[in-house]
Amino acid sequence: MVLQLHVWGPAFSLPSIDAQCLAAIAYCSLALPKGSWELVATSDPSVSPTGELPALQDGSVWVSRFRNIVDYLRQYSDGEWDLDHQLDETGRADSIAFSSFIESRGQILLDLSLYVSSQNYYGNTSPAYGSLLQWPNQWILPPKLHGAAKARTEHLGLSSLDLQAMEEQRQREHSAGVAAGRIPKNLITRPRDTVSKLLGRTAQQNHFRLDALTGEFFEPLEAMLGQKTYLLAATGDDAPSSLDCIALGYLSLALVPELTFPWLRDAMRTKSPLLAEYTERVRQRCFGQAPVEVAHAFSPQSAPSSQLPWRTPSRISVAAVGSTLLDTLADATPLLRNVRKYNSLKAGAQSPDADLSGLEKNVVAQAANNGKKDMYASVATVVGGLALLVGYMFHIGMISVKAQGHGEEEGTEEVSDMDFNAGSAADFLSVGGL
Amino acid sequence: MPPQASEGQQTDGNAPSFFRIPPPIKRLFDRFPLTTYPANDLPQRVPSGREDNQLFVFSDAASARRGRPSFNPQCLKWQAYLKFVGIDFEVTPSNNHASPTGALPFLLPALPIDTSATIPSHKLQKWAIEQVRCEEEQQLNVRFEAYASLLDHRIRNAWLYMLYLDEDNFQAVAQRLYVNPSTTSSVVRAALSFQLQQAARDELLKTSTYIDVAALEGDAQNAFEALSSLLGEDEHFFSRPNPGLFDATVFAYTHLILDEGLGWKHNRLAQLLRQHSNLVQHRERLLQFF
Repeated sequence: MVLQLHVWGPAFSLPSIDAQCLAAIAYCSLALPKGSWELVATSDPSVSPTGELPALQDGSVWVSRFRNIVDYLRQYSDGEWDLDHQLDETGRADSIAFSSFIESRGQILLDLSLYVSSQNYYGNTSPAYGSLLQWPNQWILPPKLHGAAKARTEHLGLSSLDLQAMEEQRQREHSAGVAAGRIPKNLITRPRDTVSKLLGRTAQQNHFRLDALTGEFFEPLEAMLGQKTYLLAATGDDAPSSLDCIALGYLSLALVPELTFPWLRDAMRTKSPLLAEYTERVRQRCFGQAPVEVAHAFSPQSAPSSQLPWRTPSRISVAAVGSTLLDTLADATPLLRNVRKYNSLKAGAQSPDADLSGLEKNVVAQAANNGKKDMYASVATVVGGLALLVGYMFHIGMISVKAQGHGEEEGTEEVSDMDFNAGSAADFLSVGGL
Repeated sequence: MPPQASEGQQTDGNAPSFFRIPPPIKRLFDRFPLTTYPANDLPQRVPSGREDNQLFVFSDAASARRGRPSFNPQCLKWQAYLKFVGIDFEVTPSNNHASPTGALPFLLPALPIDTSATIPSHKLQKWAIEQVRCEEEQQLNVRFEAYASLLDHRIRNAWLYMLYLDEDNFQAVAQRLYVNPSTTSSVVRAALSFQLQQAARDELLKTSTYIDVAALEGDAQNAFEALSSLLGEDEHFFSRPNPGLFDATVFAYTHLILDEGLGWKHNRLAQLLRQHSNLVQHRERLLQFF
């Protein structure tokens, strides 16, 4: 059985738009022999039971997240496909620490650069998603990812990179000026706003903040790399490790994309020239010389020279479209959202690779069950309450079936509405319970 | 409709829009916010004739009097750091609502007497460096930030899960320490508990689509392993003669995880931590300071 690696599709001339996926692709291309794996640009997290990409499929076994994939590949090949086997104890510790460092700090910078900076999001990231996603995901997923990125970076207080919010503020001030009649109309120009202009106007400290953030991220890595070929290499000709794959994932997304507002790339080139050169070198080794295009992923014949073993993703099925729409709907419904959350908690605890003791497994599952019971109770209360209300209205004659056609229509409409709700909720719950 | 509205349309010159807000109303709302309130005042309990620096942390009155460690990792980190660098201070039990920034800990310096300017936690290190001329440890070793991220993310996430989302632990520990002292009303308690758990859940869901307990604990296990090999046979991290900021950060978590007095019901992190005897000894050495 050939292993299949499902990832977010290519963008910005990189094989994936997501840093974790890039790391997984780099790891597979370095560790696995050619022909033993295939790369599928699924771009739909719902294919994997865990709802996450990257996901490695081995027959009926699914493994998601970069670290789990690395562990799985090591076990699968009895320690043969393991880039970290030559590391000593210090190397292992460094690998763990720097992976955590790159994942936490790098993700925030990528969020700011690709999603929160509105010029980049609307000019580059959003169109990139549009070309690699299928209907209806192209309408559902990008706003979700955008929102998640904003939530992750909220605490930094850099929302002024979000030009849309700034623009609203500016227009308010502008129209206030016009309304007060202080500014003659022909003197009002509407210049195109650029980020640097807005930053200059709102707060110089944003510049400092971004500068500090990029410095905190790049400088330790630059110092760690030094003149070495790879981050953890002891001598010049050493082999790459899994840390290099993680670093490549995050750094290439910082360096390679041609963005409208390339502050992250500029910072990387000025602050850490060695790191930029290293990223370019490792990228060519893992992903090949030629830039990756979206077409490569969907029709591998068109790129015979590609180093990556692309395989055409299967067309999205009607059932998958249906379940995506249903999921989105359910996530937008207050009570159902909570039920889903508890379900996912339980699934996490009961997954076979969870090394919880039996007792702990039970405790988590119990907590999830209790939470879910609460939810069912509140759903039942709401439904019961509605039924009582309708019954009462019938009883006192506010709605009367025998009355004019108008009243009858209203009554049946209400009932059928409720039927629909109950039906969809029950459907969904049975799906969730599986 | 007020007469000014038509005037506004004429001066504007654009096609009149049905949705345009009449200028007088607009002018009224442009004036909002009418006032912006200054930062919160200090709590009334702050003694006016204070002699010592006051550090406001999550604690209870009895422990605070004896200078015992706080039960909040963030507070304990700074409490330990100030102790390690040799700054004298008094611990005052407090909560988030008392802080000008909305977060604990913060410090009210003894000097100069007349100011009531407080020092929030992210400026505490700078203040301490000015006070006692200790070194800024981040600059000394490239590994500092990388290993600190293990504590700030991997161990913190596992801690958040263990303390807030494990139902038994939450009732036995978090509810007793954070919720019960603030009120006696059971309704408010229930609401507060819910908010705390929800906040922890949201924090964990920021970085992943679902909460994978096994992954959280696996990450914590790796993090302890890395910290253990970083410490090695040394007394303190980075082979320093005296404990510093990094030791304080590690101690803040290892002490609370190993503290039997907190009454954990399930303590998986302690099981993982006890596999590394040098980290356990490190915690015991530093506990001597308290």
